[in-house]
Amino acid sequence: MTSNEKKNNGPQNKSCLCKLTLEMSRLEAKKPSLCNSEPLTSEGVRATLSVWRGIVSSCYGPSGRLKQLHNGLGGYVCTTSQSAALLRNLSVTHPIIKILVTSVQNHVSCFSDCGLFTAILCCNLIENVQKIVLTPTTVIKLNKHLLRLCTNYLNSEACGCRIPVDFHSARIPLCLVRSVLTSKPASMLTKEEVDHISALILRTFLLTIPENAEGHIILGKSIIVPLKGQRVTDSTVLPGILIEMPEVQLMKLLPIKKSGALKVALFCTTLSGDLSDTGKGTVVVPCGVSLESAVLDQLLNLGRQLVSDHVDLVLCQKVMHPSLKQLLSAHQVIAIDRIGVTLMEPLSKVTGTQPIGSLGSISTSSYGSVKNLRTAKFGSKHFFHLIPNEGTICSLLLCNRNDTAWDELKLTCQTALHVLQLTVKEPWVLLGGGCTETHLAAYIRHKTCNEPESILKDDAGCTQTELHLVAEAFCRALESLAVSLEHDGGEILTDMKYGHFWSVQAHSPSAVNWSDLLSRCGCGLYNSQEELSWSFLRSTRHPFAPQTCLPREAVGSSSTLTVDCLTAKLGGLQVAVETANLILDLSYVIEDKN
Amino acid sequence: MAAAGSVRAALQVAEVLETIVSCCVGPEGRQVLCTKPTGEVLLTRDGGRLLEALRLDHPIARMIVACVSSHLKKAGDGAKTFIIYLCHLLRGLNAVTDRDKDSLMSENIQTHRRHWKNCCQWKFISQTLITFQTQILDCIMDQYLSGHFLSIFSSVKERTLSRSSLEWLLEAYFCGRVGRNNQKFISQLMCDYFFKCMTYKSGINIFELVDDAFVELNVGVTGLPVSDSRIVAGLVLHRDFSVYCPADGDIRTVIVTETLQPLFSTSGSEFILNSEAQFQTSQFWIMERTESIMKYLHSQNVKLLLSSVKQADLVIYYARLSGISVVECLSSEEISLIQRISGLSPFVIPQGSSQCEISDTALVKFCKPLILRSKRYVHLGLISTCAFMPHCIVLCGPVQGLIEQHKGALHGAFKMLRQLFKDLDLNYMTQASDQNDASSPLIYKNSREGNQLEEHGNGSLQKPCPNTVVKNKNKLEKAQTYLKVISNVELEAYIPCSTVKLTPTNTFQRDQTPRCFSLEKDGIIDDCEPLIESNSTANSTTENTRVDISCENLEIAGKGNVLPMGCRLLDMCTSQSYCSSAMPAGCVLPVGGNFEILLHYYLLNYAKKCQQSEETVVSMIIANALLGIPKILYKSKKGNDSFPQVYRRALHALQTNQPMVSSQTGLESVTGKYQLLTSVLQCLTKILTIDLVINIKRQPQKVHDEDSEDEL
Repeated sequence: MTSNEKKNNGPQNKSCLCKLTLEMSRLEAKKPSLCNSEPLTSEGVRATLSVWRGIVSSCYGPSGRLKQLHNGLGGYVCTTSQSAALLRNLSVTHPIIKILVTSVQNHVSCFSDCGLFTAILCCNLIENVQKIVLTPTTVIKLNKHLLRLCTNYLNSEACGCRIPVDFHSARIPLCLVRSVLTSKPASMLTKEEVDHISALILRTFLLTIPENAEGHIILGKSIIVPLKGQRVTDSTVLPGILIEMPEVQLMKLLPIKKSGALKVALFCTTLSGDLSDTGKGTVVVPCGVSLESAVLDQLLNLGRQLVSDHVDLVLCQKVMHPSLKQLLSAHQVIAIDRIGVTLMEPLSKVTGTQPIGSLGSISTSSYGSVKNLRTAKFGSKHFFHLIPNEGTICSLLLCNRNDTAWDELKLTCQTALHVLQLTVKEPWVLLGGGCTETHLAAYIRHKTCNEPESILKDDAGCTQTELHLVAEAFCRALESLAVSLEHDGGEILTDMKYGHFWSVQAHSPSAVNWSDLLSRCGCGLYNSQEELSWSFLRSTRHPFAPQTCLPREAVGSSSTLTVDCLTAKLGGLQVAVETANLILDLSYVIEDKN
Repeated sequence: MAAAGSVRAALQVAEVLETIVSCCVGPEGRQVLCTKPTGEVLLTRDGGRLLEALRLDHPIARMIVACVSSHLKKAGDGAKTFIIYLCHLLRGLNAVTDRDKDSLMSENIQTHRRHWKNCCQWKFISQTLITFQTQILDCIMDQYLSGHFLSIFSSVKERTLSRSSLEWLLEAYFCGRVGRNNQKFISQLMCDYFFKCMTYKSGINIFELVDDAFVELNVGVTGLPVSDSRIVAGLVLHRDFSVYCPADGDIRTVIVTETLQPLFSTSGSEFILNSEAQFQTSQFWIMERTESIMKYLHSQNVKLLLSSVKQADLVIYYARLSGISVVECLSSEEISLIQRISGLSPFVIPQGSSQCEISDTALVKFCKPLILRSKRYVHLGLISTCAFMPHCIVLCGPVQGLIEQHKGALHGAFKMLRQLFKDLDLNYMTQASDQNDASSPLIYKNSREGNQLEEHGNGSLQKPCPNTVVKNKNKLEKAQTYLKVISNVELEAYIPCSTVKLTPTNTFQRDQTPRCFSLEKDGIIDDCEPLIESNSTANSTTENTRVDISCENLEIAGKGNVLPMGCRLLDMCTSQSYCSSAMPAGCVLPVGGNFEILLHYYLLNYAKKCQQSEETVVSMIIANALLGIPKILYKSKKGNDSFPQVYRRALHALQTNQPMVSSQTGLESVTGKYQLLTSVLQCLTKILTIDLVINIKRQPQKVHDEDSEDEL
């Protein structure tokens, strides 16, 4: 499964002009030649681009191939097929690839999903456009028109490849999560595990939604707690916060006598007895005067105040002085220190406390409460579990067999959660499995053939022939993106009614009845028993109008659908086209080699 | 190592720069990708950025780049045009010397001596350039070009700006600055921003404010398509809240520039702790004090604390308790911007224990977190007390490099507007020759004086008399006197209302002129001949307005007639009148090389009637160099829109006094163009005055500094 690919650094094709200008002191040479300045025409750049495209497109989709990234010195090994992990670890040197990579990375950090989609589409667009003999300016202009056509269509009611999401039923959201999980094969999940995890993710997501939401919803937070070496099906989600703790320490804290709500104090300042900032001047302390003991006195006073305020649980972000701890535990107050800054905000939210920054008097209003606490053991780890009265914080205990697979699974879960959040904001999903791409390509072909005026209406500078050429390149880019989903040598077909994506296994007998060979389209919406006609995606077809306006009953009938987040995909599409335009527009590359 | 600082070397440098820069010029221009040593990638069409990214080594190249960047700092536009002008000018100068060299070759065999001789010649040319730039350019701008200017304001007096004209201006500007698929969008964004920030009373100071605080007035968001960029009302601070307490209604806010919690000791002081008890008391006092300050702020209904420093945990805690939102670690620029907008001054913590009165609080309409791509910002609805209505631009783009480009372009656009909204002062001397389109009664005297002068000139050439030798030290100036004379002569001849009785004198004088000039070098006569032939009608029409001034001058000149010879010469000098006029703010011309073609046309006209050979040459070179820009702009156009066609039409229109028609919509600032031309000429004079570039390896630091200053 694992293919070991090494990043090709790309030939150092620094154009001769740059050399000339950088070393201008030796300028007595001849004039620079312009052809070298066009970075995309250079053979080396093309080769680098196609290597890069090979890497990303081989990762794409549920059957995508995994990449193993390591530094060859025995360091950390990363096995992945996700753009987020792949791009973070790859170091590219060529500036053009760098632009492409950062663009995809920025997209991923915005939307989490559709990174490979963006990367492959961008590469395809650049490669296809280079085959056309048109000036970059024309291509860029037309690409922009085509992009607008796409976004308008995908956002319109008439769009034949998007489905409304109804969060009253779990079906479509579950499909969405499952699609995300299956598209990342490096998390190594079996079918049952996928079912388990996708249900878990959906539950986690629902736990972060406040119960009494009116108007503006502020989603809560889910904390992913690592639990490596366990079975995936051991993963679980709990409301509240889990604080990991060594077993010995946990034993000391026990037993918790009190039942019912517990009073909590949360400190953000240090309770270790350090001296606070004394200012820029000097502080003179004569011999015999011990400031430490003075501070400790102060701390102990604070401890007494906490005890008299009937606080049951003291949490401290930083270190607590042992004497203070002892004092508190002597009075059956549980003290936990070194919480860390990341947990502070969720803790403050869960318990309703205000982080205390004072060693003096504490206002009673800054105390909060939790419903209950208990200790829990998951795998070999011991946790201290704070159960809130209410709240939108939950902990997702995520298990996987090994480190690499766990890292991949964690990323996948974060992606899925983010995608759900995006879908709440914009409750639509697009058909996945390559169907949106082929459908969109069919739609663009149809539009450019039949209504080229509407696309060119506010632009007098381009002819219809130019439009046809660029549109063909654009559609080919979309289609070959869909084709990248197939890695096992199968053939890709498209139907002439919906323009969906159908794949046929490799070495299947040709010239037979297609409807027997095919079962369902890529997204799973249609089956082959309908009266459809197919043709190879690679072959040229007459443009046809794909059926728009997806009927509701069609969505209801099919059991499992492959769907993608609309927001992420639309963003990816825009970023891909914009980045491609940007790269096509380059006339010089100036590299600073300092 | 020393290399001759010749025009040829400079030209080679400029030509390399030109090839790089010209690919980005104009609406058809493309992008350049620069990588920094840190690994950042930058997209740019900005000439200044481009030249910087090249990190040039060549001394002349570095000088040019330094000139460009100093120009950019002022005008915010025109780096690419700068290089192209410069290159064309150098090309023109080089062509002239090539011609001259043939004649010089036989005389000077030694190359070294020739070089020095060349240098002297360059010095003259550079002096002429300075004269041109300081006097003639202004004169031509004022007298000829100003008639063609349009105003960006729909009403000049009140300086009201219509949206459509600003759109034209900005679209034309962004055509040269951002990638072609975003030009329209960015210019619309800028236009929206401008009108949102402007109020009726806003003047030029709004541009100053935006220009100065541009970094604080925008936020970049990567990973989103450019079309997601937008304008948000209020101010976005590049920080997150340390404490956020939601509040409704108008929020009172204070600015703090020091820590609110008192410290044990301030710098330079010493704090002596004598016992544990004392330490505890002082700590207690600090706590009490902090609490009381915060309680006081709370009692004054302050809901937002903007701090330029990090505040202690204690302050944060009390702020949270009293429902005060806190933003810490604001940069000094952010603080000063807030102060400028709201007129708020920092809250001074009272030294004594007595309660203080907060003199200064400002009201904020809202104050809330703004989340842009999972990064949190503080969004403040400041209520403005000045003419600037605070708004921020959220710039989106797939990569940081693109956002930087858009930021740079927007900033440059504000710089350009800032210049455009200023009046431009034009100072120049009206030449003595301007006197001549005077009314007829005076002409007789004048011409007679000219006659005498001419004779005097002859005398000085043959047997120098002490009075004039001082004046006419070099041949150049001699030539000047002659030229004055001759122009006097034929201008009279062409004045429409010249009376019959004067004609004999005129003809007599003309008879004399060739005799006088035969003594001089041939070149001057060559230059003068076309002058006689075509003293244009344009001259008589455009200069009619100047009759009053020249009348006065003439009277002085007339008096001078009685005075001794030397004095009269002096008088002639003083009789040049200093003119200062101003180009009103907001002067624009249609895009597409209109300014260049106009100036080219008038410079050629000027050159034709120029008296000095140097001046003629310089004017011609500048006039021709100006065409470089329109040539590039129309390069891709074919047929009727090709450059020769456009040029021909424009010249025809100018000759027949018809309005010039431009095929393109869009406007450009005249001030920008004017400043650019002056900067280029200054740069050129700098280049020309260098004769040797000496490479020094090890040098005492001090001398080295001087040297580099000299060069850059």
